[in-house]
Amino acid sequence: MKQLLSRKTSLFRLKHYLYGLAFLLIFLPRVAFAQDDAAPAGFLGSIEAGVQGIVDILNLIFYFKVGGENGMPFIVLWLVIGAVFFTFRLKFINIRAFKHAIDVVRGKYDSEEDEGDVSHFQALAAALSGTVGIGNIAGVAIAIRLGGPGAAFWMTMAGFLGMSSKFAECTLGQKYRVIKPDGTVGGGPMYYLSRGLSAMGMAPVGKALAVIFAVMCAIGSLGIGNMFQANQAFAAVSNVLPFLTSLSWLFGIILALIVGLVILGGIERIGAVAGVLVPVMAVIYALACFWVMLVKLPEVPGAISTIITTAFSPEALAGGAIGALVIGFQRAAFSNEAGLGSAAIAHSAAKTDEPVREGIVALLEPFIDTMFICNLTAIVIVLTGVYADPTATDLNGAQLSAASFETVISWFPYVIAVAGFLFALSTMISWSYYGQQSWAFLFGESTTNIYKGIFLFCVFVGAVVNLGPVLEFSDIMALAMSLPNLLGCFLMSGLIARELTSYMDRLKSGEMLPEPQVAQETVLRR
Amino acid sequence: MSWLKRKSVLIPIDFSDLSYQALEPAKEQVENISALKLIHVLSPLHPADPAAMWDTVSDQDRKQKVRAFTRDKLSEMGYDDIHIEVAIGDPMSKIMDYAQEIDADLIVMSSHGRKGVSHFLMGSVAEQVVRLSHCPVLILK
Repeated sequence: MKQLLSRKTSLFRLKHYLYGLAFLLIFLPRVAFAQDDAAPAGFLGSIEAGVQGIVDILNLIFYFKVGGENGMPFIVLWLVIGAVFFTFRLKFINIRAFKHAIDVVRGKYDSEEDEGDVSHFQALAAALSGTVGIGNIAGVAIAIRLGGPGAAFWMTMAGFLGMSSKFAECTLGQKYRVIKPDGTVGGGPMYYLSRGLSAMGMAPVGKALAVIFAVMCAIGSLGIGNMFQANQAFAAVSNVLPFLTSLSWLFGIILALIVGLVILGGIERIGAVAGVLVPVMAVIYALACFWVMLVKLPEVPGAISTIITTAFSPEALAGGAIGALVIGFQRAAFSNEAGLGSAAIAHSAAKTDEPVREGIVALLEPFIDTMFICNLTAIVIVLTGVYADPTATDLNGAQLSAASFETVISWFPYVIAVAGFLFALSTMISWSYYGQQSWAFLFGESTTNIYKGIFLFCVFVGAVVNLGPVLEFSDIMALAMSLPNLLGCFLMSGLIARELTSYMDRLKSGEMLPEPQVAQETVLRR
Repeated sequence: MSWLKRKSVLIPIDFSDLSYQALEPAKEQVENISALKLIHVLSPLHPADPAAMWDTVSDQDRKQKVRAFTRDKLSEMGYDDIHIEVAIGDPMSKIMDYAQEIDADLIVMSSHGRKGVSHFLMGSVAEQVVRLSHCPVLILK
């Protein structure tokens, strides 16, 4: 009887898989045929048209220009205001806490007795695997292609100022996290918006902002952390394996399969392997950048001055005088997630009873991601001059970066393909976690398989659709997350400033006594 | 009337207030409270959860914490001596597996009474249990 029943259960599950398989078998040949036609026709064309339709609506809502035709898109202005506000409100926390941040990451303040799941270093590494994505290779190239070399300057500025907004959101994430009955941590904007604002007597506002954030993050994860990554991973890989160019659907399916194996359970080792390989790749990538600079050493000062001078005189560029600034800030936020709130989900798992301490650790993230890695890519692209080559205007994203490196290291596009693929994979896995947490906040844990299904479908879509609509969708949804997140952070900025002052006073006086935290009791969530 | 009483009654709980409401009617079905068995199914950690990425929290730790938490909660409500099972995985199949393991002769659980989209998304655990259970299922509305 028992055996029979367990067979019945597994048959029930098997049936679902078979339906899925049958669907794919019917579906695949059509995709393949559609691929043979001219690009926008058939099934793939209708996917692309669908994405474009959604993008047009989102553009109307979030992208209206403040200050006329050549003004600044509202949502970018919002991010700039957030980053500048927190830098001044917290008295240049990005500079004055930098050394302390490194001390904390080195484990000087770790305490085994504190609540939480991982050390400060481990939390930072987990968050970085979400931020260091293919955006660090491809995003910079896109910025320079659209906004000229000056955009790289504004990316650096945005990274510098973004350290402060990252500090603010991760401090809140840590302060208002919940410890679940199984001892694991739940945190992120959905928790600090609802719990933090409720503690200030604004419960309905907090709840509304938390729900809006969770919706934006669940959808946004499908863009910045999924379709964009899949799209540029395909660009980087097909760049060195030209026979794949017409087989984007096959690449999409293989990539979705790998991501599926990791996030649907089963082969978690792939995730762990990617987690180990990503830092290795990042180091190889950085060394290669230094090598290119070494080879072209005499031209380096010229390249840097090109970046700085064009930052302030971006004539003849789309978007007019502030085009480079807008593009720089947009690509930087896209790369380091400052202001979007997503990283607070990972940082809240850190073992500490000092929320400010984890916030300080988090401010290293935009520094590593944007001020360091993105800048290296930017200098290589400007140094090699491929971006300005009139015969290479069709190169964008990962392919432009690959072509730039190729001028100095002929085999480097292969490294970019491997590194890009791994960066994209680890970023997709991290973002599926952020999106799943948001989904669970809205609909409960028991339905997360539906989200995973949607996520995997989008991996496929990202690989087969052109960069244009994917980038637009990803940009808008990612930046839209900053709307509820930064609004909540603004409302709680007084609290953040008070916590910071108290922390810094205790740090200076040499007493680092833990104080009771409101957020440490077990809180039930369905 | 003791011959009418059940020997093994399973109560799946998800820590919502509604799910605890199954305890009272379940108690009426048994002679001794020790015939009640309670199960909570945890979802596996996402591979990108920092705790999973760095392997700092074991399944055993999670189960043990949930068991302690549930024991406290139950004794607060006046139910001691109920066996608490904690499993990790898909709720529906774990509930079914455990029902077979203890040879349950009744499963008592609440339906969340959701309608529309959220019913479509969430109402399915109770329905699937009804569909696949080898024993009678009492669904509270």
